[in-house]
Amino acid sequence: MTARPAGRTDHPVESLLRELAPQVLAAVVRRYGQFDTAEDAVQEALIAAAEQWPRDGVPDNPRGWLVTVASRRLVDEMRSEHARRRREDALVAATPASELLARPADAEPVADRDDSLSLLFLCCHPALSAPSQIALTLRAVGGLTTAQIAAAFLVPETTMAQRISRAKQTIRASGVPFAMPAGPDRAERLRSVLHVLYLIFNEGYTATTGPNLTSPLLSDEAIRLTRWLRRLLPDDPEVAGLLALMLLTDARRPARTRPDGSLVPLAEQDRGKWDRQRIAEGVALITETLPRGPVGPYQLQAAIAAVHDEAEDVDSTDWPQILALYDLLEKVAPSPAVTLNRAVAVAKVHGPAAGLDLLATLESDRRMANHHRLLATRAHLLAESGDRAGAAANYRAAASRTASLPERRYLAARAAELTTG
Amino acid sequence: MKYLLLIYGNQEKWDSVRAEDWPKVVAEQEAFNKRYRDTGELIGAYGLSDAPTARLVRQKDGVPVVTDGPYLETREYIGSFYLLDVESEQRAYEIAADMPWARRDPVEVWPIMHESAADL
Repeated sequence: MTARPAGRTDHPVESLLRELAPQVLAAVVRRYGQFDTAEDAVQEALIAAAEQWPRDGVPDNPRGWLVTVASRRLVDEMRSEHARRRREDALVAATPASELLARPADAEPVADRDDSLSLLFLCCHPALSAPSQIALTLRAVGGLTTAQIAAAFLVPETTMAQRISRAKQTIRASGVPFAMPAGPDRAERLRSVLHVLYLIFNEGYTATTGPNLTSPLLSDEAIRLTRWLRRLLPDDPEVAGLLALMLLTDARRPARTRPDGSLVPLAEQDRGKWDRQRIAEGVALITETLPRGPVGPYQLQAAIAAVHDEAEDVDSTDWPQILALYDLLEKVAPSPAVTLNRAVAVAKVHGPAAGLDLLATLESDRRMANHHRLLATRAHLLAESGDRAGAAANYRAAASRTASLPERRYLAARAAELTTG
Repeated sequence: MKYLLLIYGNQEKWDSVRAEDWPKVVAEQEAFNKRYRDTGELIGAYGLSDAPTARLVRQKDGVPVVTDGPYLETREYIGSFYLLDVESEQRAYEIAADMPWARRDPVEVWPIMHESAADL
């Protein structure tokens, strides 16, 4: 399944709700504190709106409506939780009705922006594991329901609900305030926000099947959230770089699987199926961003994706340019995955033997030596150098070491071709 | 990433736990289950009933044919299994090592195949 039109959020009410979700939550948290209960209350308000608005029409001030309903739920919750305390009544009484209904006239757009960012930073809190950060971000910022998130990750709703509730407890226990982190903390937290968005994108980009056709495509959701983040931080080059990388990668989606679900490697993809609009947007974005600096890993990966996307076919690809970008990426953000990709570029520019030499440098790392990706890359380079038997053996070893079903099928098929062909 | 944890044993092994120790063994296992259900990492925990209750099922002419077996005799068989969804392989190993039974026998950890794939 390469395209899932049913999964795209093309219902105007749902799009509006998802757009408003983080603003409403930020407003409620700002007013009452209590991120965890506020988040539940906003989720309930969103569900109520999803039921009522398509039937009764969208209210004149949808944001105010949601803030009001969520605030009432929150206050009800506080009342039932602390039935003996009177404090909450005083709190409600002290809240002017006008404030519940509309945004104050003197509201600073900057304060709104900071609230939205604070919310995103809170969901990507470093005390949380990556799966928890992802789940919380999709719910609190993306406005998805727990059931939708559970369906996207193929886990039962109870497991996902537990993960979200534990994440909120962890945030509460950590005592971090609902505010923008300052100084070097802010840069560090923004890095983890970008990482979480990238993980969401990859989860959606790589998954080829899902049981629930109505659950939104996670890659579309990641692109939507990254666009939103870019509106909040228009001058951050890595935010722009990440958005460009997502667009340029997602553009290839229609060509990367066959109708039967099998994988098509980049070199063999029908480039006529690539999404030209996404490519144009991604290329324009990375072209205007790169010269501004400072250059970071997302910008470099986007630049590499742009070089691939602009080539007519694999042979007319500007491999020296790709190699230069990988050299830079390895300096900025070294990792075994970058070295693997650089080895492929080295092989294209200097021949397969040079690529294999570079791969050999990774083999001293015991964990890496038997990694399916290393084995698959070596198989590819051995095949390029004419060693069919060696290539087949490495493809077979790679196939038995991956937990990805489509990759296993692809790798096993390559091994079989080299053995019989 | 999803993982299956398997605990193996046989009647002889279960019998080697003294009757008065079983409540503690069960309580420890329940504490483990609760701990990882609460983090949203344990999807399911299941114990299998004893081998004599297992059956072999075949299909013949579209009809199920059920026979006794498997006859495992003294061999070890699956006693219980646990389904995890965790951040990393490392985390799956951590949780497996936290299984009370892991102090006594190794716990098997199997990655579960998924449908995601990298760009090739």
